[in-house]
Amino acid sequence: MSTRDSILARIRQNRPQATALPDIHAVPFIRYDNPFEAFATLIRNLGGDAVQLAAGQSVADIVASRWPDAGRTVDLTLPEHEEVSDPHAWHDVDVAIVPGQLAVAENATVWVSHPDNHFRSIYFLTQKLVLVVPRDAMVDTMRDAYARIDMAEHGFGAFISGSSRTADIEQSLVMGAHGAMAALVIFV
Amino acid sequence: MQPVPCSSLSEAPRTMKIGLFIPCFINELFPHVAMATLELLESLGCEVEFPLQQSCCGQPLANNGDSKGACDAARRFTGVFQQYDYVVAPSGSCVSHVTHHYDWYIAEDPAYQQLKPKVYEIIEFLQDVLKLEKLPKPVYFPHKVSIHQSCHGLRELHHASPSELMIPYQSRLENILKLVDGVDVLLPERRDECCGFGGTFCVDEPELSTAMGEDRIAQHEATGAEYIVGADPSCLMHMGGIIRHQGKQIRPLHIVEILTGRGAGA
Amino acid sequence: MKDDSVKHPQAAAEFLKDRAQAKWHDSAIWWVRQKRDAQAKQLPEWEELRRLAREIKAHTLSQLDDYLAQFEANAQKNGVTVHWAADADEHNRIVHGILAARQVKKLVKSKSMLTEECGLNPYLEQRGIEVVDTDLGERIVQLRHEAPSHIVMPAIHLKKEQISELFHKELGTEAGNNDPTYLTHAARANLREHFLTADAGLTGVNFAIAETGGVVVCTNEGNADLGTSLPPIHIASMGLEKIIPKLEHLGVFTRLLARSAIGSPVTTYTSHFHQARPGGEMHIVIVDNGRSDILGNEDFYQSLRCIRCGACMNTCPVYRRSSGFSYSYIIPGPIGSTLGPSRDMKKHGSMAFACSTCGSCSNVCPVKINLHEQLVLHRKKAFDQNLLPTGKKMGLLAMRFLTQHPALFDLGGKVMRKVVPIIPESLTRHSAWSRAGRDLPPMPAQSFKEQYQQRSQNKKDKQDKKDKEEQQ
Repeated sequence: MSTRDSILARIRQNRPQATALPDIHAVPFIRYDNPFEAFATLIRNLGGDAVQLAAGQSVADIVASRWPDAGRTVDLTLPEHEEVSDPHAWHDVDVAIVPGQLAVAENATVWVSHPDNHFRSIYFLTQKLVLVVPRDAMVDTMRDAYARIDMAEHGFGAFISGSSRTADIEQSLVMGAHGAMAALVIFV
Repeated sequence: MQPVPCSSLSEAPRTMKIGLFIPCFINELFPHVAMATLELLESLGCEVEFPLQQSCCGQPLANNGDSKGACDAARRFTGVFQQYDYVVAPSGSCVSHVTHHYDWYIAEDPAYQQLKPKVYEIIEFLQDVLKLEKLPKPVYFPHKVSIHQSCHGLRELHHASPSELMIPYQSRLENILKLVDGVDVLLPERRDECCGFGGTFCVDEPELSTAMGEDRIAQHEATGAEYIVGADPSCLMHMGGIIRHQGKQIRPLHIVEILTGRGAGA
Repeated sequence: MKDDSVKHPQAAAEFLKDRAQAKWHDSAIWWVRQKRDAQAKQLPEWEELRRLAREIKAHTLSQLDDYLAQFEANAQKNGVTVHWAADADEHNRIVHGILAARQVKKLVKSKSMLTEECGLNPYLEQRGIEVVDTDLGERIVQLRHEAPSHIVMPAIHLKKEQISELFHKELGTEAGNNDPTYLTHAARANLREHFLTADAGLTGVNFAIAETGGVVVCTNEGNADLGTSLPPIHIASMGLEKIIPKLEHLGVFTRLLARSAIGSPVTTYTSHFHQARPGGEMHIVIVDNGRSDILGNEDFYQSLRCIRCGACMNTCPVYRRSSGFSYSYIIPGPIGSTLGPSRDMKKHGSMAFACSTCGSCSNVCPVKINLHEQLVLHRKKAFDQNLLPTGKKMGLLAMRFLTQHPALFDLGGKVMRKVVPIIPESLTRHSAWSRAGRDLPPMPAQSFKEQYQQRSQNKKDKQDKKDKEEQQ
């Protein structure tokens, strides 16, 4: 018998008593009166920031005013965005502007899975990550989020919340462990 | 279960008989706690009997894996106490062993299943069965006390809301101390951390057990309290040993001793 | 790898010799427990979430074979290669096979307790493959040739001065610069080079979704993402208990995991891998290594619900004051103390006794495993297999006997009360009770039983006297 079959046979033989799968939608989860407020307050503690685009303002304006000396900038929200043939080629990106499909109020995450992105490495190699999210694409909790997402990008998708961080040295929180050192969410 | 008031608290006939369960180490080392329990119950009009054939409930055996010994002890306990209307003890841990862990050993014994709902820790008994609203005689205890919430009383008997659970806060010990005049009730930082007694754990891992006890005592001291007050003599014994060794001022005190009005003198 | 001959009481006593360091360790980890409380408190549904998580896992375990088969089929549909490993050795052989066939020289790894359990790093290193752990804490312990002392905070046993010294030696950082930000960024620069030059990436798995055939990996650092989005090969190693039935169930588990683990509402990255990056390949290795045996054990199968958040360690007063290295099994603390003895009672039996049975672990557990009860159940096994120290076993047998003979029990107590006060302190000082700094309690002259009997006698005498007087 193959390893696979013998493992499955042993599991079948050792099955604990059958129990029902609960309905996770039957339980009321938290709701936010002002989801944007909840999101923005939270992300500031997570090495990020969130702003709403004002009338007449563009994403590029906000990015430029925040990081006037930015280096290589790639904007995946533009229809004609830059493309590379190797994921390593994003290694020197300073600012990446990427579309986010959904924001979650309870934990300040943004779902990222962009069908036009070829190499996901850009989200993690960039020094500063800008996530552009439609204003109305905000849900309260992860339960609502999972009802709406799909893995549009080569079978990959991620919830990203703020900057890459670590507390592995004496529990001191440090931003910029491996991924982005700064994260900005712009609601448009 | 319907509350069955003792005769002094209502007009009900004196039919309820309480079997006093005094855990083995309390019997030998803390007879004053046992006596305070007995006197408190009697002064509330209860008929109390201390069955002489009782011995250890078997918790140390169970906690060290001796299932046969634990099983025999459970059967013995059931035999000794089954004739009573209620069984009451001044130790959360031992009561919890009887009501929560005997099922591991003698679940199939109908006598035990009948007995189980009748076994109470003293504070539970006062609050849930006697519905105590005032002490038999007024008690004035003008001292600062820091509550020691023992683990089994807390997490198995639900004496208070454990700090881990996100449920509304309540505390039996704090509630009952509201019946005492003058007492100033305080809670230590890390309100319900273990003191490190842990049954035979205290001798299996003496260094660790003592370190836990030292930390716990320091937290009680930091409240400014004169007494560490709890409902489990085992934890109080362990912390008391460290306090004596270090010559500290703070004193461990069983809550029943306060309720009988002789706390400070004991 | 871990020293599995360690016995908890001795190791803990050793750790406690440096009380300042032990106190720091305790406070640092308690701080995480407090952060967990603060996060949990913000969700009115917290206890309901725990119930849901428990029930989802319980259900999954009761049909685990079906869900694993479903997961495999869906992963294969996504173009992922699925491998099965009966034990650690088979897991290591499979991983090495994949790497060797593609001439991999350097593997970047994100945190995986499973590969620690399997001893993958030394296995690959002996075969000429450079393995770079990329989680900062894991990297630190790897450079120190140590095992992680905590499953979520691998380097929590170290002070920043020790890490500074290590990085000075290994990464050339400034001597004496202990600033965590400086040290973290130095590691960042160093590990970026490794990410960019690695031939393959290996991750653990937090959740595997049967319905979609994908796996979810949660990190704060982004190391799992860099390690899988750059090299062309992604290997995900998972214990077979990581399965959840549906994607929607992540709406429960992702809400619990980081809040329980680190007191944060979520990890920075919650990444869902269903396919390799373009031009790459993805492999999933499903590992048994004793899990299917635990599944068949009525007392212990609940431990397979574990989502490895480490909350039980953070709340455990014993773990916080003894550190992960006092435990012989690779996973320390309460969950390790049930998994270790389940795997090998002879080696890891002492872990089941490293517990005051306070029960705090069972209350913080997001999947409501009855951890402290499992430890007591393991003690039963240890007793039955005759693994208790002889002196202790004799004591228990004596106690078992005395419990059934109250007269002798009372006599024993009386002897103790009479003898203890007259033996010199020099003799009791080294007893297990006293040696660490506890005095014996004062020995009362009479037991309660004696007092009670006397009291009853007095009462009876009084009554008799009264009766007599009345008669007269």
